Amino acid sequence: MKKILALALAASLLAGAALAQTTLTLGLFEPLNEHVELVLPQFNALHPDVTVEIRTLGFGDHHDLLVTNLATGSGAADVVAIEIGYIARFVAEGGLRDLSEAPFEADRFADDFVDYAWAQGRTADGRQIAMPTDIAPGTLYYRRDHLEASGWTIDQVIESMDSFLDYGRELLGHGVFLVADAGSIAEGLIRSNVPAGDGIYFAADGTPQLNSERFLEAARIAQIVREEGMDAQIGAWSNEWYEAFRQGTTAVEISGAWLGGHLQTWMAPETSGLWGASNTPGEMLVSWGGSFYGIPTQTDEAKLDAAWDLVLFLTTNPEIQLKAFRTINAFPAMPVTYDDPMFEEELEFLAGQQARMLWADIANRIPGVATFPGDMIAEEIFGSAMGEILNEGRDVQAALDEAQMLIQRRIRR
Amino acid sequence: MRMTASTPRTARRNERTGRSPVGQFFLYLGLIALALLTLFPFYWMFVLSSHSQSTIFSAPPPLWFGEFLERNYNALLARLPFLRNIWNSFYIALMATITTMFFASLAGFAFAMYDFRFKRFLFAFVIGSLMIPPLLGIIPYYLIIQFLGWLDTPRAIWVPGMAGAFGIFLMRQYVASSMPRELMDAGRIDGASEFRLYWNIALPIIRPGLATLGMLTFIGQWNNFLGPLVVLNSRENYTIPVALRTLQGQIQTDWGAVLTGTSLAVLPLLIIFVFASKQVIEGLVAGSVKG
Amino acid sequence: MARTTTSPPPPVSLPRISWSTRFDKLQRRFAPFVFISPFFILFAIFGLFPIVFSMYLSLQEWNPIQGLGTMRYIGLENYTWLMGDPWFWRSITNTLWIAFASGIPQHLVAIPLAFALSRGIQSFRHPLTAAYFLPYITSAVAIALVFQTIFGTQFGILNQTLQYLATAPWSAWLFGGLADSLPVNWLGRAPNIKPAISLLVWWQFFGFNVVLYAAGLATIPKDYYEAAQIDGASGRQSFFHIPLPLLRPMIFFAVTFTIIGNLQLFDQPFILTDGTGGTSQAGMTVAMYLYRTGFEWLEMGTAAAISWLLFLLIGTLTVIHFYFFGRSGLETRD
Repeated sequence: MKKILALALAASLLAGAALAQTTLTLGLFEPLNEHVELVLPQFNALHPDVTVEIRTLGFGDHHDLLVTNLATGSGAADVVAIEIGYIARFVAEGGLRDLSEAPFEADRFADDFVDYAWAQGRTADGRQIAMPTDIAPGTLYYRRDHLEASGWTIDQVIESMDSFLDYGRELLGHGVFLVADAGSIAEGLIRSNVPAGDGIYFAADGTPQLNSERFLEAARIAQIVREEGMDAQIGAWSNEWYEAFRQGTTAVEISGAWLGGHLQTWMAPETSGLWGASNTPGEMLVSWGGSFYGIPTQTDEAKLDAAWDLVLFLTTNPEIQLKAFRTINAFPAMPVTYDDPMFEEELEFLAGQQARMLWADIANRIPGVATFPGDMIAEEIFGSAMGEILNEGRDVQAALDEAQMLIQRRIRR
Repeated sequence: MRMTASTPRTARRNERTGRSPVGQFFLYLGLIALALLTLFPFYWMFVLSSHSQSTIFSAPPPLWFGEFLERNYNALLARLPFLRNIWNSFYIALMATITTMFFASLAGFAFAMYDFRFKRFLFAFVIGSLMIPPLLGIIPYYLIIQFLGWLDTPRAIWVPGMAGAFGIFLMRQYVASSMPRELMDAGRIDGASEFRLYWNIALPIIRPGLATLGMLTFIGQWNNFLGPLVVLNSRENYTIPVALRTLQGQIQTDWGAVLTGTSLAVLPLLIIFVFASKQVIEGLVAGSVKG
Repeated sequence: MARTTTSPPPPVSLPRISWSTRFDKLQRRFAPFVFISPFFILFAIFGLFPIVFSMYLSLQEWNPIQGLGTMRYIGLENYTWLMGDPWFWRSITNTLWIAFASGIPQHLVAIPLAFALSRGIQSFRHPLTAAYFLPYITSAVAIALVFQTIFGTQFGILNQTLQYLATAPWSAWLFGGLADSLPVNWLGRAPNIKPAISLLVWWQFFGFNVVLYAAGLATIPKDYYEAAQIDGASGRQSFFHIPLPLLRPMIFFAVTFTIIGNLQLFDQPFILTDGTGGTSQAGMTVAMYLYRTGFEWLEMGTAAAISWLLFLLIGTLTVIHFYFFGRSGLETRD
């Protein structure tokens, strides 16, 4: 009898649990899944009534499929991750829920995040579409051995863009390239000193800026680097790029802080201790990556509370942010985490430098930049113009005037 | 047939091919050189699958096998239900192959051996359907599959293509060039039904072509990526290409594991190829029905 | 006849035939329609809607991530806009360039190769055919890794080979002229991208055609060759006079597919240019432009219009091909 009672009790408990149980799907790309799989038990402990089902796809596939899912109005996960390169697409154009509204009221978290990450997930008219989870403060990685051989100090190198170029000329005498690709300098320069309220490619009123002085100057500097032979003409993510890091044929690389972790684990592990990190030349305060979480409009109303709980758990919990930093080297978007002792660790790969404090400082200072619907096509058009300037020797003014014309044609409607 | 009447050659020539030993030597030399060109990337894929992430990207890259195969294989199994994914791909490819071989050869046979109303128009329609760029079809395709309630099922992948235009055209050409029409009349006089004519007369003749079609269909379906990506959504149901691509990360990809998976996934295709090309080669050696 | 009756004729003057005869007539009459029906049934279910959808879409402005309800009718604006779009025209010339530069050599190599494999040699036929076919089943990932290594500027195999040839004493007289232009930036400089893509396409597909042709040659009766041999035809003669004419349907088929396939080329340029189309969009094909316009830049209506213009281009070239070669290519044996 007792047994039967116990069974009945267990059964009714199970039934009760099953009734209240919400199943959420979470759409991720590699490597976010590695982090979330680790911390999910913590979420389950906090919310036993929610079951989370992780769907991981390749990085590009995840974002492409999201477009199709939003188009057809079904098939998207209840909570989706979005990388910064794709964020403009989703933030400015719809398809994701406005988190500023009830029941989310995300605006109360504005001060918890670094400015630019918060701004990136926000539309020009002030609707928060996505919550930032990690960021990538831009930094300059430099080879200490080349610096010493040249007799320069790193402060001299990064004092201004001119001194940076002079350092490059000095290196030529030592048979070393300044950077892998001149284009990467231009990419950094266009992202810095953006007037408040403007986007990278568009002024606040939506006018494209591709032939503005900021772009012309960036292109001219990149052109100087290319014409004087200071870059190795190696594209990122190629065998030759990795090899350049290993052999030290290039002296610096402007990148997100995450590059160090990859250099250390697989790109050039044997160069440990040879590297340093610093501010970027001429104070280019830029970001090189970052990810967000959002909730698609098609997510079932009944699941919204659970979905929002999951988003908050992944984005506003300092402990979880720090874990992501440790497992997948995702730099936290919440300044409060920067006080953690982890940030004072001396990084062996960077010859004992406390570089995380430097990056935290950079992260706090990067100004917010507005996001516009045409950002992706503008990025493509500018990249294409830079290719013509650097590889085909095209005149800077002419190439950027044409770029401006092309983007104007595109956004005409 | 035009035949050039020339003087008989010397007996030294190879009787079957009519070539001299020197000619044979250079022919083999050329054929083997070309084969090396096509073999290399394939071989290299296997080589790289036995290396670690950092040696894969060293320059010059490794050209001989390394010691990381086991580690890569374990990494693969830890992150994917790999055998399950292989089975999904196999099942879908097999269903697609069987149905395509049947429906395409049947239709190809009809287009080659019969005269019927609107034949030219209908055939042009079949060819025309090939010319529609498939990329944009992905959104309506999803909507249809959703309407049918087939999301996350294998049939969503193989059913739509089971009477594909490619196969029909290939089979039509094959039947047309290998099967004399008299055979149809002879069969009819013997009282065979039209389906019997296809099944008992046409099918045996077009075996090499059918084997070619089966092989190409299997390979195409095995490597099919976009369709499965859009309509399958649980990792247990993913096919191999989708599953392997889940390992491709934002910045870092475990290429060792990806290439190990890729190399393993290509083995069934090799077996299918050997099996099918045996049919083709046997056809070559045996010659075929006289005209 | 199974059932002969002696009863009076029926009122309607139907020919007096048995059920089985009637069925026999029926099945003979409708057999071809039944045989081809699966294609049309499946087309009606899965093919028709996408076509109607994209036709409709090409007259709309639509950002896909806003959902199906947000389309806005704009008439032919997508088409007129494309007519004045420099990137669209560039993608058309790129596509045609690559289609011809990779397509024609495919067949010029594959036909004699299939012939050599089937009649010219007696051993290793099987492994050689397999080797030529391998690129067709080599995965895109492996191809991307290998070809980016081959075409690399500093350490690339191709440049290293050229470097060696330009400086080695035995070959310098022939290749020495190249020394000044080395190393070649294959995938970075605009003029080099299309040749690099064409080489990859050729490499990947000539073996596919060899297999098609080998299957076609398998249908040629052996006694044709024997007859030729008795007449004393040389290898070359028996190539031009026997298999070539008999291979016509297969050539016609394979060329049709090269036209249709090459004009929709997507994977290979995507791989070699990292999905961007390369400097000055020199490697951006129409299919790539279509994909990027629709799925990256979210102008789905414009993408639909591109797909119809591409359809028009493929259709035109295919019709020209059928007009000139269709009579012999579609003939049947009698």
